[in-house]
Amino acid sequence: MRLTVRALISHGRVARRIGLGPESRINMLRNILTGLVRHERIETTRARADEVRFYAEKLIDYAKKGDTNKKSMEMADFWLTEKDLIPKLFRVLAPRFENQSGGYTLMARIPNRENLDRAAMAVLEYKGNPFPPLFPVKRTHELNLVNQLLKGYREEKAKLTTETRDS
Amino acid sequence: MASRRLCEMAQRRLVSSAAAERLTASELRSWRSSLFSKEQARQRSLHPRVEKIEVTMDAPGLQGTLLVMNKGTSTPYSCARHLTEWHVSSAALALVDGEPWHMHRPLTRSCSLTLLTFRDANPQLVNQAYWRSCAALLGQVLDNAFKEEYSVELLKIPEVPVTAGAFCCDVVLDPQLDSWTPSEENLRSLTREAQQLMLKDLPWEPLEVMPTVALEIFSHSRYKQEEVEQMAANSPSGAVSVYRCGEHVTLAEGPLVARTGLCSQYEVTALHTLREGQWGLQRRAQGLSLPLNLTAHHTVWRKLRKRAEKLVEIP
Repeated sequence: MRLTVRALISHGRVARRIGLGPESRINMLRNILTGLVRHERIETTRARADEVRFYAEKLIDYAKKGDTNKKSMEMADFWLTEKDLIPKLFRVLAPRFENQSGGYTLMARIPNRENLDRAAMAVLEYKGNPFPPLFPVKRTHELNLVNQLLKGYREEKAKLTTETRDS
Repeated sequence: MASRRLCEMAQRRLVSSAAAERLTASELRSWRSSLFSKEQARQRSLHPRVEKIEVTMDAPGLQGTLLVMNKGTSTPYSCARHLTEWHVSSAALALVDGEPWHMHRPLTRSCSLTLLTFRDANPQLVNQAYWRSCAALLGQVLDNAFKEEYSVELLKIPEVPVTAGAFCCDVVLDPQLDSWTPSEENLRSLTREAQQLMLKDLPWEPLEVMPTVALEIFSHSRYKQEEVEQMAANSPSGAVSVYRCGEHVTLAEGPLVARTGLCSQYEVTALHTLREGQWGLQRRAQGLSLPLNLTAHHTVWRKLRKRAEKLVEIP
């Protein structure tokens, strides 16, 4: 749910309307979120991915409280329709994001669906999954010739400025 | 056959009388080059029978590639020609069993081969080889640049780290030129000479020779002979590596890059007068160069160039 200009001028109907009604929306999100927890990387329409993303992050936040917490157990029980995933949530995903607060998921736009509806599509994933990276890994060119020359140049300049300051 | 023998005889006579009489610079160059060719031909004739070796490529995307090459004839360059044109044009140096190896040096055993380029993740080895070869190129330019009557003695090429900002080539010019101070125009003409060489895209041909051969090649120069002896004493096998580019024969401590065409931006930035040494007034020529596909924007180049004009101190 994002506050956009479009949402502001739509007479308070800020939520994106998904499915056949509020209940259908929740069920749809639950199914997608279950798929996300199971596969760790899913492909869905962009609106659904964007909508699920919030719940996916929130679920991790609850899971990090531990499986003894009543509320977090309720949440896991509600959002994961396939109950064999509850141990995975607490034992795999929660420890993975222990040192991280927020930003557990990654969303990437992909080309529109080749279907008749040409829906905008997206990939949603939990970070730290075992799959190959979505984006090419950024190569560092720290050691190439130009950068080495520039490094020497910068060092010399820094040395000169400190010398002039001291004298 | 008869003419060849005649040639050899003439050459031998030249050798015996060489120390006494003084050759002009161009004669000296062609003489060194002919000796180099002779030694090269001799080393090639050591492998009359074709023997096969197996070369495993070790590079991203080439794992498991096995090339069957000829022992003593095939070079890393010929291996690259079995791959793609990109490998041929961009490989600057090879790594044979983890040992830096010139692209045109024949392979002598079954080995694993890696082709190194300037854009690798860790190109430090290539950078150093590039710096060395740029200095060798500068030496070649200085050797060519003066009139026939002026002698030019190239001293040992100092190993300078890339971060020093410029590669150096020490030189002792003719005593008549001691009062000469190079103008900007002079430096520009040197740069132009170097660019001519880069345009020709000459390969650096390597040769591992015994010190006796190297002493013969450099028999006109006392300084070079001393350098040869030093290098032979330092190297574990006792051999000296000699490189030829065009007609210019030079000594080098480590491997050079494959060809002069790999340089793209090249400029001779300064010619400093150092001190009065044993061999005469020492001068240090400095330059800055960047390889193909790594050219700098002109603002960056100007900064680097300005820095390269300063004298590089070698401890």
